[in-house]
Amino acid sequence: MAKHHVTTTINGNPVEYLCETRQTLLEVLRDELDMTGTKEGCGTGDCGACSVTLDGRLVCSCLVLGVEAAGKAVGTIEGMAEGGGLHVLQRKFLEHAALQCGICTPGFLVAARSLLEANPDPSEEEVRYWLAGNLCRCTGYQKIIEAVLDAAREMREA
Amino acid sequence: MLTRTKDEEKTLKVVGTRPVRPDGEPKVTGLAQYGADFSLPGMLWAKILRSPHAHARIRAIDASRALALPGVKAVITGADFMEQPFEYVGPERVAVNYWHMTRNIMAREKALYEGHAVAAVAAVSPAVAAAALKLIDVDYEVLPHVIDVDAAMAPDAPLLFEDMITRGVEPAPTRPSNVSKQIDFRLGDADAAFAAADEVVEMSFKTAPVHQGYIEPHACLARIGADGQGELWSASQGHFVVRAYTAKLLGMEIGNLLVHPAEIGGGFGGKTVIYVEPVAAMLSRKTGHPVKIMMSREDVFRATGPTSGASMTVRIGVKKDGRIVAARGVFRFQAGAFPGSPVMNACMCAFAPYDIANVHTTGYDVVCNRPKAAAYRAPGSPISAFAVESVLDVLAGKIGMDPLALRLKNAARTGTQTAYGPKHAHDGYAETVEALMKHPAYKLPLGRNQGRGVASGYWFNGGGESAATVHINEDGSVVIATGSMDIGGSRASMAMMAAETLGVPYEKVRSTVADTGSVGYNHVTGGSRVTYATGIAVVEACRKIIDDLRGRAAQIWDVNPSGVVWEDGHARPASAEVGDFAPLSLKAIAAKRAVTGGPIVAEAAVNAGGMAPGFATQFCDVEVDPETGAVKILRFVAAQDVGRAIHPSYVEGQIQGAVAQGIGWALNEEYIYDKNGRLSNAGFLDYRIPVASDLPSFDVVMVAVPNPNHPFGVKGVGEVGIVPPMAAIANAIQQATGTRMTELPMSPPRLLAALDSAEGA
Amino acid sequence: MPPAQPARVVLTTGFSQRHTGGVKEFSVEPGTLRGVIKAMDARFPGLGDILEEETTVAIDGEIHEVVYSQPIRPGCEVFFLPKIESG
Repeated sequence: MAKHHVTTTINGNPVEYLCETRQTLLEVLRDELDMTGTKEGCGTGDCGACSVTLDGRLVCSCLVLGVEAAGKAVGTIEGMAEGGGLHVLQRKFLEHAALQCGICTPGFLVAARSLLEANPDPSEEEVRYWLAGNLCRCTGYQKIIEAVLDAAREMREA
Repeated sequence: MLTRTKDEEKTLKVVGTRPVRPDGEPKVTGLAQYGADFSLPGMLWAKILRSPHAHARIRAIDASRALALPGVKAVITGADFMEQPFEYVGPERVAVNYWHMTRNIMAREKALYEGHAVAAVAAVSPAVAAAALKLIDVDYEVLPHVIDVDAAMAPDAPLLFEDMITRGVEPAPTRPSNVSKQIDFRLGDADAAFAAADEVVEMSFKTAPVHQGYIEPHACLARIGADGQGELWSASQGHFVVRAYTAKLLGMEIGNLLVHPAEIGGGFGGKTVIYVEPVAAMLSRKTGHPVKIMMSREDVFRATGPTSGASMTVRIGVKKDGRIVAARGVFRFQAGAFPGSPVMNACMCAFAPYDIANVHTTGYDVVCNRPKAAAYRAPGSPISAFAVESVLDVLAGKIGMDPLALRLKNAARTGTQTAYGPKHAHDGYAETVEALMKHPAYKLPLGRNQGRGVASGYWFNGGGESAATVHINEDGSVVIATGSMDIGGSRASMAMMAAETLGVPYEKVRSTVADTGSVGYNHVTGGSRVTYATGIAVVEACRKIIDDLRGRAAQIWDVNPSGVVWEDGHARPASAEVGDFAPLSLKAIAAKRAVTGGPIVAEAAVNAGGMAPGFATQFCDVEVDPETGAVKILRFVAAQDVGRAIHPSYVEGQIQGAVAQGIGWALNEEYIYDKNGRLSNAGFLDYRIPVASDLPSFDVVMVAVPNPNHPFGVKGVGEVGIVPPMAAIANAIQQATGTRMTELPMSPPRLLAALDSAEGA
Repeated sequence: MPPAQPARVVLTTGFSQRHTGGVKEFSVEPGTLRGVIKAMDARFPGLGDILEEETTVAIDGEIHEVVYSQPIRPGCEVFFLPKIESG
């Protein structure tokens, strides 16, 4: 079957790729574009490890087809740090020891950035509900929540 | 609440601080490479065909249609792997039987559980491999199956192995059964001692198997060359163990297999064993191409090890004053499709926090048609603790004693005889109970439908084999390499211990995890052993480095090495008589590397002993919704003896993570099988692990009773935190509702049914 | 010089039933763990390998891996128990 030619934008850069109809955006990112920062934890939209943004909206890239990215703007973990420095959220995750194994971390960071864009001053409960679509089995979530609240504080003060 | 140690000779500068982990940045930028993130030129993709039946004889496998599909390079079945002798090798508790292992990797005579691998395909793309699986024809004779442990022990149960005779029973039974092994531990005379008790409570319990639930599915990349040498990139808890098992199943010499440690996306015990590595390696050997395998989440649930489900009966007798006089426990554990549940640990840990003169525990290791059990955080101990700690709660109620006071009265201390043999050599348990008694929240009033429950736990903690290498670079910076996989910040703790020992800033020390060709053998990252055992290896290597540096300083000053001391990262003359020399920094000595003898490097290898056990005591407050049966965790306070925390944030993280897993085990997690023995909830939507909005923040109380056998007082901290939560929550639910739950999980439908039946009674 | 106080070797019930005819306690010369294992192997040929491969040792309660050089002091209890391992 002929592959589709997709023109899109990933982390602000123009990107073209060929993909099969059935390939998910997650598979395209990982297997075709070597962007393995986006992780597969379940492939069914239950764990959030593959979180990316599509035109600013938080999605599970395992539930989006590669062809659906045509003409849209995709944001992945690889685009989070800018200008040689880490994003505040990335820095706060490290300072708060908010990761143990780290496999869920890219998804959490993308989801948390999306939260803080929508709500710069979330309560602990709002953070816990926004991130309820991202599974972490190591931390019990506490240090992740603390890192996000601390990052929000610093970003508001900046 | 970190208490200071009495014998502290000098102030620690690095240990006890909270620096950023050295491997942190790649993990927040997406650059860290986990098991599924490696690729090689010419790489093929493999997929595994799995049995749709819980129990079936495999009459024939015909792969000819699959092999005819363009893009398919090879198909393998169990017959491609060499036969292994039937023998249990290694220590009894963790005995390995390669006859079983090779059959778990790929079925031979029979498929023993739904999801059991029966064949594998390597093809040019994942899509072609998936299409090929559908073209493999397997002729099954479906057999009766058994899922539940009590059903598997029944005399008329379908047998997984027609020749299995229970081990550990004298004289040996004449009839085969699903009971692989029986174990007994006896101290005193429990049966007689119950007569002296004022109150005796006996109850039966059931727990569901629960999965470790690591977010990263198993994945690896293998390359086996025509010269017989190969490489593996694998996410595991121990790449040396992966190497040993894979080499054995493929008939390779260990030295011919180089295993690269991929970052590991969670393990909790479940990645101490292998599944995909020998399959990828065999397909690579057969095709001459690198082969990559990634399990799906569904594969992980259907085919990898959960911990055992269990059926248990526990009987405890106390005097009116709270003294426990006798205890009896019978623990029946599902091993899954092959022998090897953690029932022995369950027997040994069950009553270990307590000083009881008469104890008898019996364990049964029982096979049934489910995936083979694998280790899961303090394997075995949380299961028996659920039963023991629930019965203690009932007894506390009967004699009108505070449940913490009951535990403190019976607390094991140094010198207390354990039921499984030796005497306790370390304190720490009573201190965790006392910490909770003093906790301000323990006396807070509770509202309607609310309850408070307490429970304790014990875990051995491990030591064992570790090796470390320390290099001093020409600019004075330090690199350490170990072979212990970093699952939760151990690179940081290794660098901190090295920095503290050498007297240099943390930032001067970089910490790596090296491949199997670059550092000595390290046993798995498991048993809460790494900061203890690998930490000792790192410190010993640093001490060798210091001796070397003293010798080099002596050469520079042209004095006797005994006249040189090492203090705060500098060589100094031991006294004025040695001479008036300005201190030499690590950097200054490193600059003279070549003329003082060449590279500055030291290795240390240990088989570490003297580890201290982990003790934990926890209480939680819950609120039960009587309309839905839903349990909300309002507060969770977890006290644990941590010895000394090297990096307190990661110690807190271990305890918080363990408690969260325990809450999932208590309230939600279970495997649901249909009448055909097929798993109905093989995904994170229906096998529901706790999410952020399910949980409150936990209050971690780190009790510090340092272990004198470790240079910094470390005790393992990773596991024991998962032991108490199930009973603590059951005890809290009892107080909230008056209903005693004896089966896990205490999910809304099950709790609602129990509440309704209590109301109707 | 009076002879050194012996060390006491203790086995679990199950282990002793399998390997030592049910005898659970033995007296041995102190020294090192290697000496203890040799002494046990002399009494029960083949037992040395089993102790090395299958057990962890508790010396006065302190848990150690079986390592030959481990010192065994006079009067101490040497308890061979099933090897400890975990997740």
